[in-house]
Amino acid sequence: MRRALAPLLLLTLLFACGLWQPWDPDAVNVLARHAAPDIAHPLGTDHLGRDLLSRLMAGGFRTGIVILAVGLLGLTGGALLGTLAAVLGGWREKLILKASQLFIMVPTLIVALTAAAVFGLSPFSAGVALGLAAIGPLALFAHMLTKRVLCQPFIMAADAIGVSSGTMLFRHLLPNTLPTLLTYVGNQSGASAIAYASLAFIGLGADPSLPDWGGMLFEYRMFLFDNPMLIAWPALALGATVFVFNRTFDR
Amino acid sequence: MVKRLGGWGLQTAAGLLAVSFVAFAIIALMPADPVAIAIRNWNLPATDETVAALRHGWGLDRPLPVRYVQWLSGFVQGDWGRSFRTGEPVRLEFMKRLPLSLFLGLSSLCLAIALALPLGFAAALKPGGIADRFSRLLSVFTQSTPAFATGLVLIWVLGAQLRWIRPFSNDGASLTLAVMLVALHSTAVLSRIYRQGLAAAMGQPWFITARAKGFSERRALWRHAHPSAFYAVLAAIHSEAGWVIGSAAAMEILFGLPGISQFLVQSISARDQMVLQAYVIVVALWMAIVGLVARLLSLRLEPRLS
Repeated sequence: MRRALAPLLLLTLLFACGLWQPWDPDAVNVLARHAAPDIAHPLGTDHLGRDLLSRLMAGGFRTGIVILAVGLLGLTGGALLGTLAAVLGGWREKLILKASQLFIMVPTLIVALTAAAVFGLSPFSAGVALGLAAIGPLALFAHMLTKRVLCQPFIMAADAIGVSSGTMLFRHLLPNTLPTLLTYVGNQSGASAIAYASLAFIGLGADPSLPDWGGMLFEYRMFLFDNPMLIAWPALALGATVFVFNRTFDR
Repeated sequence: MVKRLGGWGLQTAAGLLAVSFVAFAIIALMPADPVAIAIRNWNLPATDETVAALRHGWGLDRPLPVRYVQWLSGFVQGDWGRSFRTGEPVRLEFMKRLPLSLFLGLSSLCLAIALALPLGFAAALKPGGIADRFSRLLSVFTQSTPAFATGLVLIWVLGAQLRWIRPFSNDGASLTLAVMLVALHSTAVLSRIYRQGLAAAMGQPWFITARAKGFSERRALWRHAHPSAFYAVLAAIHSEAGWVIGSAAAMEILFGLPGISQFLVQSISARDQMVLQAYVIVVALWMAIVGLVARLLSLRLEPRLS
């Protein structure tokens, strides 16, 4: 678990960014529009004179929420359902697998898009929608993995000496499946940062002035020619965040 | 084989039915009231009669299961309901925009396959060579940057610095750029899968036999390893189809292309339930059809499956 250190640190950093910003990310200052970077505004200001660094930090917090929500929901829901399906077997296994296959009939992003259209786009709603949508593929993956471990000789041996089902689950099964599942979930939650940015970029009637990285890219695209750094910073922040997750949880 | 396909078709139809019902139920739960929004937009008098008439006209006064059954029977017959925003039949609005979105999705997918095969092949031929390193770099890059951010950078380079294209204009250059950007991610993913498949086949005894018979590495790879590796690519196409449709949505917004996703964004501020519903079904149908084509191709490739 040493290698999960970098994403955890990053997540902590993102949440810390939500607690304090040098400026109010929504404070408009028309006298300081498109200000060049200086000590007061380390990354300069945007077309309304809002401090870019503060907006980036606030956006990081919102992205952090999505990543965490997807990670937690996907891991608990997907791992639980997939493992249950493999262990229970019979009609319950069939039911869970069929339900999971239903989930992948509609792409994750479209599920989240629908949820955002219905309930409005917020880090929370997007996190829940993306997390729920991640359960389907993850359950299928966990099921496959658990099945593979279940037919190993050591499981049969444990069964033969009569270990209880709890011991079987926590001593023999999960230690073998959980690391792989964690890798998969880590990768997925990194990708969810991109999905959330896409949702914010697409907009869907959400307030584009909210400091989401994707929303900032949409809002600032008109200033691509006058002030390209406005685009560069959110894109860089997003790319770096996802890169850390992908590198750590490379499949 | 017909029996297998029939079973698969039945399963898909049942899945589509379930997806459509779940989508219908969730969309009906929408907290904002489309009637209130329509009254505001059209400057109608907000009397009880108007509200009742609108609700009745849109069928919102009937219970959910009844509405679903009515919608479903209409949908199958080609009546996808009327848009709450424009009053036009939703199917006509979709048919106007679908060709563009379909073109975007299909050509990106085809381009990705066409690029991924040579790239993956070259990478497998020489592990650690230029092609191998390039495809790995591409996959790291495309996985950590969304297509629309890359698109913004490209617009800046091509539009602002080199002045080759007119930025944010809905023309051929934008469409080409959009197709390439969407294809880039799938190219990276599929080329890695293809390379992995080829590499796995190279360790098999039958591959060594082919080499021993005097086939060159390249020829043996193409004749003997390619089918099994391509099979893995086909299996991955389903998830890539989902990715393509999502990135295509962002591309339509970025380049201002009048496709179905742009239409959805315009409709959502009016809480246009019928449009949202049709959108989900169209996407689910797209996934099902791509899945079917991939399945047919893999059946051809691997007759033992049928």
